[in-house]
Amino acid sequence: MKAAMSLKRVLSCSLALVGIVGSATAADKLVVEAGRIITVQGPEIVDGVIVIEDGRITAIGPASEVEKPWDAPVVGGPEFTAFPGFIEAKTSRGLDRANESVDVAPFLDVRDSLDPINFFFEDCLRWGMTTINVQQGEDCVIAGRGRVVKPHGDTVEEMTVRPSFGLVLSASPKRGKSRATQSQALRQAFVELREHLEQLVQEKRDGDDRARREALYQGRDLEGERAKGRAMSSTAWKVDGLELVPRGEVDEKQEPLLDLVEGRVAAFFHCSQPMDVHRALEIARDNGFLARTTLVLGPACWKAADVVAEAGVPAVLSGDLTHTERDPVTGDEIETFVPTVYEEAGVRFALSSENSSTRSLWYQAALAVGGGVPRETAIEAVTRVPAEILGLGDRVGALAEGMDGNVVILTGDPLSSTTWVDTVVLEGEAVYRRDEDVRNRHLLEGIAQPGTQPSQGSSDFRSEDEPDVEPTMADPEEGGDEETPSDETPSDETSTEEEEDTQQ
Amino acid sequence: MITVGWTLLALTTSAALPQEEETTWVIRAETVYTGAGEAIEDGGFIEVEDGVIEGVGSGSRGGDGALEAFAVTPGMIDLSVRIATSRWSVEESDEVQLTARMADAVDLYSYRWGREARSGVTSALVSAPDNNVLGGLGIALKTAGPATLEARMLRDDAVLRGSFGDYPARNSTPNRLAVGPPRDFRTRRPATRMATEWVMRDTFYEAIAAERHGTPFDGAEVLRSVVAGERPLMVQAWATQDIRTAIFFKAEFSIPNMIIDGAAEAWREVELLRSSGASVVLPPMVFGERARDNSFYTLSCAKTLHDAGIPFALSGHGAERSDERLAYQPAHAMRGGLPFEAALEAVTMAPARMIGVDDRVGSIEAGKDADLVLWSGPPFEPSSSVIGVLVSGRLVLDPRPTESVEK
Repeated sequence: MKAAMSLKRVLSCSLALVGIVGSATAADKLVVEAGRIITVQGPEIVDGVIVIEDGRITAIGPASEVEKPWDAPVVGGPEFTAFPGFIEAKTSRGLDRANESVDVAPFLDVRDSLDPINFFFEDCLRWGMTTINVQQGEDCVIAGRGRVVKPHGDTVEEMTVRPSFGLVLSASPKRGKSRATQSQALRQAFVELREHLEQLVQEKRDGDDRARREALYQGRDLEGERAKGRAMSSTAWKVDGLELVPRGEVDEKQEPLLDLVEGRVAAFFHCSQPMDVHRALEIARDNGFLARTTLVLGPACWKAADVVAEAGVPAVLSGDLTHTERDPVTGDEIETFVPTVYEEAGVRFALSSENSSTRSLWYQAALAVGGGVPRETAIEAVTRVPAEILGLGDRVGALAEGMDGNVVILTGDPLSSTTWVDTVVLEGEAVYRRDEDVRNRHLLEGIAQPGTQPSQGSSDFRSEDEPDVEPTMADPEEGGDEETPSDETPSDETSTEEEEDTQQ
Repeated sequence: MITVGWTLLALTTSAALPQEEETTWVIRAETVYTGAGEAIEDGGFIEVEDGVIEGVGSGSRGGDGALEAFAVTPGMIDLSVRIATSRWSVEESDEVQLTARMADAVDLYSYRWGREARSGVTSALVSAPDNNVLGGLGIALKTAGPATLEARMLRDDAVLRGSFGDYPARNSTPNRLAVGPPRDFRTRRPATRMATEWVMRDTFYEAIAAERHGTPFDGAEVLRSVVAGERPLMVQAWATQDIRTAIFFKAEFSIPNMIIDGAAEAWREVELLRSSGASVVLPPMVFGERARDNSFYTLSCAKTLHDAGIPFALSGHGAERSDERLAYQPAHAMRGGLPFEAALEAVTMAPARMIGVDDRVGSIEAGKDADLVLWSGPPFEPSSSVIGVLVSGRLVLDPRPTESVEK
């Protein structure tokens, strides 16, 4: 179907044309004009201008104070609101199969299953989501490395903002496990890492070069830094003598966990129940990665809000924002609006599009405001907080000089139900325009199947306004093809049978 | 844990509230959307006495004891609420249940009433589930109040509920044993859309034949009232082909009053719907997926019906999730282009008219039931919430901030 041709492809084709036709200067400069700029980290700007050069914001301020490059194309206008773009702190969408069957698989990387033409990324542009952390699913014990991407590009590399970012761990049971075996499997993974490292040290001390031969056999990189040993740097436990072992000789399957224990990788610890929070924190603390941990919390976890606050870790509120439970005795329904609980407990939280409603971030932020969260906190929960969780606080999540040239141009307030994303600018490129978004038009207005036309209505049917004969049960108008007038003598057996025949 | 205000909703269901409650109030708001003519802006009040609206006006009244909100709207009316209608409420002895009454089955102690009431739904039409071709008579009740049918009654036997499409046929299988009686109910139920429609038509024709012969027909009275327009025939039809079937059925039997429920694809057959005179109840909006029966539910569906002048109501369909309930549906319809006033009507007066209870509920006017929803901000915006609800003057959700709630 032509109509269904990938929007991304259409856009990239048109951009390619621009690239060929336009001059080099036009391609790396862009001016965004807006009646209102929501900067997030500073005051709002009325009648503002944002200048983007080489993918970065080089100037932002009121139109009267900012000089616009004469040769830069202009997008937006006085009727629009400019916004930094929504940031998704953790999602498992955009992947071909999010969950792995292997329990502990930190050696995997979503690079291999991230699908650039997945409908999700197209939808991200439509909802104004500009930076997305794609991680493996939570049906795991320890899952692979994630990747921070922008929702545009034909290849994973083009989309990448931060490669190999973060590991997913789950304190909630993987399918087929109980909570006890889940915890055991989590702890066991670190015990095995320790045993592996101890074995490597022992082998080195014994003069056994098995690990080196193994590394060479596997074709691993043993040059430069990888050829050197380094003492273990961890705030939790250490294996003495690790400086004897060249880092390139550490088993590939164990290396990501070593990075985790040494605090070089961010961890996204998933908890579906409040009881999981305690274990997640305990395991993170015992293995020295608490400072790099972000908890991904299901709706029920609000009961552990104080524990989360005390641990000082940020949280991603995944799933619905209202938690519903039934009192086991009275049967009464108890509804708790989750974000306000964290807000009051002092937890820094990000909202997530991983929910069963619109799957957008503006809607979650709006719901948060509806539930009593201050507007600034709600906006930060979809911009600055996720940016900081992703270690990109200086690049995305706000509009300021020096930050990435990501701007979402909205038709109104970001939290209003009637606001639409008009244009999305990613690193200075206008990659989405609503007026060119054919699929959005289909979602909004529907689409007629080729060769069909809706019925034109009427003359076949009496209008209700038209006075008609008093309807009676005995005389259904237009009742059948052949008809027995009702005012005649009651029909006999035969006519009834005929009537039934026609119906059958 | 200590929390302030109405943000922590730890509320008991209305059934658990004491019977003798205060039903006299003054409500003050920036804007009062009366649902009858212009909204009262820049401050308005509503006086409620003994559960009935005494007066509405602009200005300020009531002093310190008044309930305050940013905006007030009439209580919302949902024509498609699933309360205590599990699969055990599906009559399996016969697919046609003309005389089955929801009044005999509805559980007034169900926690679902409180859920609806707290989210701003003050009147609900509860019908049999959609598994029967003709499932019986639905009942329109207030969502809160004393736990008796009499006290909560809005309209008994309000509609005859029927169903087209996939649902009555779902899980049905033909009798695989070539001989012998059917093994169970499902082996003889309609197994296709066509058979579902056939069963419905057959019922009407059987009734006609019985009347001609003067032979008794169980439920003839019910069908007579439907054909005479005294009681709407409310049918489920999600996909285009089922909506068309419903419209043709309406014409074939000259049914004056038909409500098509779940009409997600109504936007495809606007002209046909308009000329048929049927009214429509739209289901909750879906995102990233098709609605039931694989129907394509567009965001502008409500707007399209509004522009064509087709009477329609929005519905939460007894949604489990809080942000899918009726209070959140107008926002999606407005995103699709429906004007605010039309969205307000679609959750208040329009459904009230469809089941003929607009003399009691649906707008804020003197003499009507004091069914009111108090909002923290502009009504229906997702960034606003329902902070107070009155059902017949009973305060189901209290908008007054409490000092603290010990948890």
